[in-house]
Amino acid sequence: MKAENKQVDPVTTEIIRNAFTSIAEDMNATLIRSAYTPVIYEGKDCAVALIDANGEVLGQSLGLPLFLGNLELCIKLIAEKNGWDYFKEGDVIYTNDAYITGTHLNDATIIIPIFRDGKRIGFAASRAHWLDVGAKDPGQPVDSHEIYQEGVRWGPTRLYKNGKARDDVIDLLRQNSRFGDELVGDLNAQIAAGRIGDMRLQTLYDRFGENTITAARERIFEQTRLQEQNSIAAIEDGSYYAEGTLDDDGLGSDPVPIKVRIDVKGENMEVNLDGSSPQVRGCINCGITQTIAAVRVGFKHIVNPESPVNGGSFQSLTVTAAPGSMFYAQEPAACAWYFSSLGLLIDLIGKALAPALPDKAAGAHYGDSMVVYIGGEDPRKNNTRFLMVEPTTGGWGGFNGGDGADSLINLVNGSFRDLPIEIFESKYPVLIRSYGIRTDSGGAGCYRGGNGTYREYELKSEASVTLWFERSHTAAWGLLGGKDGIGPEISINEPGEKTRHCLKANSLSLKPGTVIKTQTGGGGGWGEPEKRDRKLIESDIKNRYISREHARELYGYLE
Amino acid sequence: MTNYRVAVDIGGTFTDIVIEDSQGSVRLGKIPTTPENPAQGVIEGIKKFVDEPTNIEFFVHGTTVGLNAFLQRRGERVLLIMSEGISDTYTIARGPRLNLYQLQYQKPEQLVPRSDVFEVSERVSWDGEVLKPLRNTDFDEVIEIARREKVKAVAVCFLHAYAYPEHELQARELLQQALPGVSISLSHDVAKEWREYERASSTVMNAYIAPVVERYLASLKHELAEIEVDSEVHIMQSSGGVMKASVAEEKPVYTLLSGPVGGTIAGAALAKSSARPNLLCVDMGGTSFDLSLVVDGKASTTLETTLEGLPLLMSIVDIQTIGTGGGSIAWSEAKSMRVGPHSAGSVPGPVCYGRGGTEPTVTDANFFLGRLGAASLLSGDMELSTQVTREAIEKKAAELDMDPVAYAEGILQISNAAMADAMRTITVKQGIDPREFSLVAFGGAGPMAAVFLAAELDIDEVIVPRFPGTFSAWGMLQTDLRHDLSRPFFFGASEVTEASLNGTLKNIEAEAQSLLEKDLSEDNEVSFHWSADMRYVGQEFSINVPVAVNADVAAIIDRFHHSHEQRHGHATRDNPVEFVNLRVTAFGAIDKYENSFKPADGTKDAQIGRRKAIFGGESHETIVLQRDYLVPGDTYHGPLVIEEQSATSIVPPGCEIQLDTLGNVIVRLNKNES
Repeated sequence: MKAENKQVDPVTTEIIRNAFTSIAEDMNATLIRSAYTPVIYEGKDCAVALIDANGEVLGQSLGLPLFLGNLELCIKLIAEKNGWDYFKEGDVIYTNDAYITGTHLNDATIIIPIFRDGKRIGFAASRAHWLDVGAKDPGQPVDSHEIYQEGVRWGPTRLYKNGKARDDVIDLLRQNSRFGDELVGDLNAQIAAGRIGDMRLQTLYDRFGENTITAARERIFEQTRLQEQNSIAAIEDGSYYAEGTLDDDGLGSDPVPIKVRIDVKGENMEVNLDGSSPQVRGCINCGITQTIAAVRVGFKHIVNPESPVNGGSFQSLTVTAAPGSMFYAQEPAACAWYFSSLGLLIDLIGKALAPALPDKAAGAHYGDSMVVYIGGEDPRKNNTRFLMVEPTTGGWGGFNGGDGADSLINLVNGSFRDLPIEIFESKYPVLIRSYGIRTDSGGAGCYRGGNGTYREYELKSEASVTLWFERSHTAAWGLLGGKDGIGPEISINEPGEKTRHCLKANSLSLKPGTVIKTQTGGGGGWGEPEKRDRKLIESDIKNRYISREHARELYGYLE
Repeated sequence: MTNYRVAVDIGGTFTDIVIEDSQGSVRLGKIPTTPENPAQGVIEGIKKFVDEPTNIEFFVHGTTVGLNAFLQRRGERVLLIMSEGISDTYTIARGPRLNLYQLQYQKPEQLVPRSDVFEVSERVSWDGEVLKPLRNTDFDEVIEIARREKVKAVAVCFLHAYAYPEHELQARELLQQALPGVSISLSHDVAKEWREYERASSTVMNAYIAPVVERYLASLKHELAEIEVDSEVHIMQSSGGVMKASVAEEKPVYTLLSGPVGGTIAGAALAKSSARPNLLCVDMGGTSFDLSLVVDGKASTTLETTLEGLPLLMSIVDIQTIGTGGGSIAWSEAKSMRVGPHSAGSVPGPVCYGRGGTEPTVTDANFFLGRLGAASLLSGDMELSTQVTREAIEKKAAELDMDPVAYAEGILQISNAAMADAMRTITVKQGIDPREFSLVAFGGAGPMAAVFLAAELDIDEVIVPRFPGTFSAWGMLQTDLRHDLSRPFFFGASEVTEASLNGTLKNIEAEAQSLLEKDLSEDNEVSFHWSADMRYVGQEFSINVPVAVNADVAAIIDRFHHSHEQRHGHATRDNPVEFVNLRVTAFGAIDKYENSFKPADGTKDAQIGRRKAIFGGESHETIVLQRDYLVPGDTYHGPLVIEEQSATSIVPPGCEIQLDTLGNVIVRLNKNES
């Protein structure tokens, strides 16, 4: 029996609300289960959403935070350009256009419109990181200055039409990747995820009927909207500011400024990025869609972090950035490392709102992915080529009630895990000489910032090394009297050469025996160090999180 | 003379006991758990329910002593020793941020604080070269502290010790001499697998609970001897096999999930006897809901798990816990209705228990609707309170302008739909379609929800086995001795020959054989199961693939592609494949009794009453059946309530039930009516 009434009871509403989220979870499980490349099924560099006919989110699985609330924006942007009738039954649509998706070309967005009796009832959409899309260097380059160097860029393109695969188009994708078969494998995983979304939404329609689902959807959106409005209304009206800089654009520029102004008025919040840098030559620009998504992440950290995202979310939040700025990049701006800018942007949103919401904020975190690439030939394995790429953990900010975490992965990398030394040394001709927590690097405070991480790589064969470390210029700041964390440092000791220091480098050729020591920064402290509980200081000394000297100098601690 | 096989399962509230006797009958009992000294409850249970304790031939025990010590952080202080330069790998814990929207994130708390982690100079390379020899004098500090501060447990984890354990063995010798009586856990002994953090974490867990488990087993053995039980004590392992208590003392970490796995093993036994190879096992108690699978007649296991965020490398029955149970609380938010995940727990418990609970729960809804009778729980030992339950539900319903009956049914509909959603996602993750499974319901609350869950998942058959409330304990009597051994075998598939593969497996098997010989008399049947962890080059996680004796490498690789396809939906036959570990699981059969089900003779009417119960907003005259009087083959139509000693089954209109010849209640759902 279909219950076709406009009035929907709370029980049905709640069942449908849970079902929307569950459908997204099933899509996500399907994508992760059937993906070909570890970056998706182990690194979880992906996201899915079930979206309604108007481009509003019904359910989203908590994937990589940066993709939060981005997929529906892509759909709306495509509809804005081409009209809603562009989406046809039997379509599978692909795009990686950075100026639509907002991210880099490696992120593939797959959109499947869902039809029922000839009428569009929604979309199943997913995003996943493809290993290689034909950039000038394998994977993604660090020194690009035009998007054309970063891979092949596809506007919205039908890979399936009337339910039939367009093999010629898919071949074109395959042929323009260094890992073409894996790419098609991951594409199929995304399609499978979309099909599950389609199937389960149809089942939900079978059970409840369109009217009930529509009515329930309205109530669900309304609940979320009300919750967020109440949370914003609780913030004191006014303008809040924060600014910081990235060290450079990746090509040796001056520091790149980012400015945030947040206007809170009643139930509404506007985030304005005017005054941030115009788009730069290096590859840290990003499209507006991803900028909006990043602002939403910063917002979500502080406003109702537990409640699921749906079409009622972010209704009270507007984001403004100037076209042609680094946050609203235009062709041919390079975007491969867009996430370095967004990491800082998200931190700054927290900083700006901290005076209004001191208990929900935290000191800044160490800020960026801090990536090391080591490539070369492995003499132990008949000189087969290898390429090791890894981000490094660092310190997070202290907050009211707790110290920041030591050695935790940065925000944009989600639930990434470091590579165990035993696996690392078996796979690559590199010895990890040391790996540990960097004492005294977290900012002092009533609640201290977490410490950064050090890691020493000893090259066992000649290798090419690329480095991308950030956030030395704007170190992780403290809040409410908390001190800043120490910034990152890298030293390179090549046999017979003087020690070198640099934070970014492109394809350095280094001799066997070279030791590279990387150190990531600590997080900012929260509250005045003088107010820190003596017992915590003693415990920190005992556990070597801080030295006695640090305790004396920054906390005035005397034994 | 009557002999007995006895299983005792200690739960949070009750200790369950199941007794099979050599005449072929089965008894069960429940007594309150004695948390101060759980052994006391075990002894009381035996004294109360076993006529001649001296005639106990086989005694198996699911113990939560280790798990509780961990959950309540009451284990022993452990000193951890790791290789120079890298001991922070333990504290860093690989650095993932598991809650992606939490700005104020904190890592799971480790069992050993950083100040108790020590380094000694030693280093072995990935391929076994000693880069730095072990320096004995480096141990002086640890030994000094252990002596001075009376530390009882030390854990050692060196880099690459999974393959090259010599330095760990040297360390043990040195520590044992210097610290007599201190429990020493070596990483390669606990888990012979790479990944230093996960291995260190498993080793620490072993060391942390070792003294507690050892003391408990000693006390249990002593008290059993007092009542003249001289059969050896067997302990249920997390893997689903049993081991002798002496083994459990060395590897206490294997006992961690000793209790809950019994249900899955019972499911596997049921799969065999009822010829239904695929079962979805649902164990629902007051506070939690455990889901596990029996696939092709075998309990689905995994080689790794996490407990409160801490990883454990060991063979373990794959049990997923879902945060909904009979105690899940209904609440309101923004004029909408929510159920769970907060639970009333066992204290104060649901409102109807009358112990001070005020917020309506799933159990309250069942009671309010008449599906659960006032004397249904524990054979009437616990009388439920009508008045307070009605008031609590009416109050909540009024907040949302709802009719109390609709509200109560709503609680059940929402919680059932949420549980079914979670079950679906878990099965989807493994590439399994729940519609191909029968649902087995046990635990006190399982049979109340099972039929509704099956309907949500489009499953057409529910089995309520005999003794659903003590099914886990019964499962412990169905299992065999088991040892899990592994050895790293890190080679590209092209480098592997039949000789190297089979040779290594035979060596592991010989080791397993000698372990079994210690445990068994010569006439017990032994069997071995070979397998290999394999993956495509470039993957981190591997798939465990069964290996036939003397199989050729090509066939194993083919099997890997096939397994990968099953698990992940695709295989890439051109991609290079590599081996990671070889494993041997050894089983030693334990003698069991024939015990066939003896059905009631039909002289007593199974229908013991009627009451009004609400289904779908309408009040139905509902038959109450006493399970013990059911006769195989008789069919009854829902709505029904089936009462028995340890559980209540609820069967809504449109379903029919039958008792099968094995004593299971089989519920068939009518798919056309829902």
